[in-house]
Amino acid sequence: MIEAQPFLAPDFQSKEPRELALLSIVTQSFFQPFSVDDNLLVILTALTSGSGVGFNRAMLFRTDGDKLRGGKWLGPRSPEEARMIWEVLSTPGLGYLEIIEHNRWLLSRGADAMSGKIAPLEFSLTRDNLTIPVTAVAKKELLLIREASREPLVDARFLETIGVEEFLCVPLLFQNEVMGEIILDNAFSRKPIQPKDVKLAGLCGLMAANYIYTASLHQKMVEMERMAALGEMAMFITHQIRNPLTTIGGFTDQLLNGQADEAKRRRNLEIIRGEIRRLENIVFELGHFLKFDPKRPEPFDLKAELRSVLEAMEPRAAAENREIRSEIDGLLPPVLGDPTAVGEVLRNLIINAFEASPAGSRIEVCAERKDASWVVVGVKDAGHGIPPEARAKLFTPFFTTKERGMGLGLLYIKRVMDACGGTIEVESEAGQGTTFRLGFRSQEEGRPET
Amino acid sequence: MKRILIVEDEEALCLLYKEELSAEGYEVTTARDAEQALEILRRERFDLIVTDIRMPGRDGVELITEIMGLRKEVPIIINTAYQSYRDDFMTWAADAYVIKSSSLDELKAKIRDLLSR
Repeated sequence: MIEAQPFLAPDFQSKEPRELALLSIVTQSFFQPFSVDDNLLVILTALTSGSGVGFNRAMLFRTDGDKLRGGKWLGPRSPEEARMIWEVLSTPGLGYLEIIEHNRWLLSRGADAMSGKIAPLEFSLTRDNLTIPVTAVAKKELLLIREASREPLVDARFLETIGVEEFLCVPLLFQNEVMGEIILDNAFSRKPIQPKDVKLAGLCGLMAANYIYTASLHQKMVEMERMAALGEMAMFITHQIRNPLTTIGGFTDQLLNGQADEAKRRRNLEIIRGEIRRLENIVFELGHFLKFDPKRPEPFDLKAELRSVLEAMEPRAAAENREIRSEIDGLLPPVLGDPTAVGEVLRNLIINAFEASPAGSRIEVCAERKDASWVVVGVKDAGHGIPPEARAKLFTPFFTTKERGMGLGLLYIKRVMDACGGTIEVESEAGQGTTFRLGFRSQEEGRPET
Repeated sequence: MKRILIVEDEEALCLLYKEELSAEGYEVTTARDAEQALEILRRERFDLIVTDIRMPGRDGVELITEIMGLRKEVPIIINTAYQSYRDDFMTWAADAYVIKSSSLDELKAKIRDLLSR
């Protein structure tokens, strides 16, 4: 027998050993699309929830250059609040998602109080700074502090902030790198910290450090990718601008040399004007692309939009000797999207099809209801088809096969479709032409039953 | 008369180079892409080749590699809008690397220089 088991247990089993409960809270949170901050909150939650390690309060310091800086402080502000929270959190059947939600709320209202208190705290991470709490990261050791006020190494400002005699310092280490430190106490229950609490807290510290390290690597990678994309864009634009500049410069010099006759002067001026228009177009397309800001998707009449685009294209079709054949289902339901942006998408797709198809050929446009929730618009050209290696790069910015293209058109289309929850598919075979299919989410609720 | 082959995909630039270099006293042939350039090179001899790098169809760097095989002693100038290919080791095989600009002086000087060696 084969039985699928859920990765994510919906709630804590009170019978389970708390080590297991703790591990499951922390590891499960990494499955969630949580932000780095939220995941760190989960770790603090694991350390403070009754079904986890059960400390009263947890504070997190993050490494920032050569400083250890105060971040979050999770926990109740007073014994009364502690009692109330424990009551909430011991509700039977409460899942970890609810606990995290609760803590997020706790943190947001405590932001000015609890976390606000440790935000101004920062300690220098130099080798000779052996005050508490820095020693734990400097020596890479878990430190349990008792009778803190009698211990001269405890930083006075820190002691005043935490206000307890007993606390545990957990360094967050990944290999030899210091990611931060967590400090735990039992300010309200006044229960002495037990050796097994220390063990579990140490384990949490390792997970937290590993997580922070991975998250920071990921962030670096995203930044590097962004820089690489920016570099690619700058290179492409440089090229696109230098070519017309070279042409303009060269033909202008010819004019200035004064050897050109009237016909040549006129020709040069026409070339120069053409290149200036090209530069203008580059600026226009880039600006258009960069300010992309689609409105919230709303239901609109796709067939009316499509018909008006087709109508507007008719004169160009006639002038360039191409036929547009359209088949539009008269009963298309409204679809979701930004009508203006979608209109532009349809126009761009049809213009692309024009440019790909030879004179005298036919472009086919169809719109039909695929099922209860999707409407599909297809635009088929009569071109050569797109070779597979180019197909893979179709939606990459600045990829173009047109001599004067910016390589932003299809990317724009994809962004519009993404923004309205739609799809775009390409079907292309050598010699058979290319079909672009746009999938729109339809809104049939308002449609009378037929 | 020295013969120059220009490989350039932009129509207006082809025209400009042809006029300007002819005025300098060279015999100029233009090719609009790599395939056409290779075809011309197989049947004609030139004293110098000026080529762009990124063009539709076959890549200019690939073209240079192939031309290197065909050209024997013919010097090559890379004339491009891209600065970045200067670091591409394939382009080191070229005799000069000229970045396109609104003045043709540098290109003309490099051509004069290479043809007088």
